[in-house]
Amino acid sequence: MMEVTSERRGTAVIINTEGRVDGSNASDFQDALEAAIGADDDSVILNLAQLDYISSAGLRIILLSAKNLRQRDVSFAISSLSPSVHELFIISGFDQIIAIHSSPDTALAALQG
Amino acid sequence: MKEQTYKILVVDDEVDLEPLMLQRMRRDIRAGRYSFVFAHNGVEALEKLNEDHTIDMVLSDINMPQMDGLTLLEQIPQVDPNIKSVIISAYGDMKNIRTAMNRGAFDFVTKPLDFTDLRITIERTLAHLTEWRSALASRDQLVSLQRELDVASKMQKSILPTRFPRHDDYGVFAHMEPARNVGGDFYDVINLEHGRIGLCIADVSDKGVPAALFMMSSRTLLKGASIGYDNPGDVLREVNDLLRESNDTEMFVTLLYGIYDPATGDFTYANGGHNEPLLIRPDGSSSLLPRTGGIILGVMGGMEFAHKTINVGPGDTLFLYTDGVSEAMNVEAEEFGMERLAAIFADVPPTDAEETTMSVFKAVHTFAGETPQSDDITCLTLHRSESGS
Repeated sequence: MMEVTSERRGTAVIINTEGRVDGSNASDFQDALEAAIGADDDSVILNLAQLDYISSAGLRIILLSAKNLRQRDVSFAISSLSPSVHELFIISGFDQIIAIHSSPDTALAALQG
Repeated sequence: MKEQTYKILVVDDEVDLEPLMLQRMRRDIRAGRYSFVFAHNGVEALEKLNEDHTIDMVLSDINMPQMDGLTLLEQIPQVDPNIKSVIISAYGDMKNIRTAMNRGAFDFVTKPLDFTDLRITIERTLAHLTEWRSALASRDQLVSLQRELDVASKMQKSILPTRFPRHDDYGVFAHMEPARNVGGDFYDVINLEHGRIGLCIADVSDKGVPAALFMMSSRTLLKGASIGYDNPGDVLREVNDLLRESNDTEMFVTLLYGIYDPATGDFTYANGGHNEPLLIRPDGSSSLLPRTGGIILGVMGGMEFAHKTINVGPGDTLFLYTDGVSEAMNVEAEEFGMERLAAIFADVPPTDAEETTMSVFKAVHTFAGETPQSDDITCLTLHRSESGS
């Protein structure tokens, strides 16, 4: 139901998450994010273009990751939300907490520009 | 087997309270459910607590000579950290309420005391105490995740009201069905001054005992803030800031809180990142309440929360729910969705809060079929009578 892949762009990593993240796989999601982020990365972009659904348990994992990365001085952004996930971000006010960009490239430009 | 008798220490400098309490609670005392011990200030209360280690909970006034209730609250954990305290406060006294919340008060009742309300509060506190003790016991042992989830689920249940206002002009009903392994929904119905009523629906972001404890604090903070402030936006700001202070695990709660005034039908609400409620007209048509903005609670301090007011007209129904309803899935992995929800009300326009609530559960169950429930499902309905004033 959920697949996490990553691609490296220099010192940045783009993490693609597909499918559904909910209470049943939130801890797998957390493990996958941690595994994808290298010790020397200075920017992390979570690309959610193929994400169909994320529950509050999944949002909490994103918050935890954002907090951990902030403490390590690594910049973090989210890109490419589908309309339904974007709606969820607006209702929860997540769009006011974490930077959201229209594509991984614009996110990358904003973080490293 | 005889049920356990709970011992409650009542602390108040008003000497009239003792005979009144014994008289109003006489049935519970005779049935062996409660026994009472009295003290008239904080110093005397501490003496009683030190002498008698079988006291389960403390019910204390704030303003008293020698040692006030807030100082007492600070001292109680040193005698026994597992005693739960309920504070008697003046309505709107946010300064003292905030201090009491910070010092770990479990719940609040307001003056003048309403004994029906007090009995419900005592029952909830004792139910919570029982689950709290069993959570402590499970922490001390190596327990399975399932056992921990059972404890968490009982803690969740212990705070949910099961009695609801039912008047000629309006009625309220709420129900929660827990998912097996995931949970975190709660609701509350709070009696406010001038016959108004506070309604809350919420969803905590995680599961297990830590989430259940976070839910407890959210509920207590909301209760305190709702009797301390009149504006739902102020209430959410307060709850958010206090949750933030003690939250390092990035747990959060989505919470919608509003005040219904039966005199006018006005519903004034603020939203901490929760789905907007539905307003259903007498013909069964429905629309989402206007958005107020506002973010999930517990993550970012210092936020302001805007409020809006809508009018619930005669025959109208207000429907609050969690995403367990709209996101319930069937065997084809389709979501229940908002259209199916709206269709329930269009087919049978609501005339009663309880019937409407249960009809939604029925529709969701029918839709989901054999598919296991992946999230708690919670609905809270307020129906204003057609003929009501």
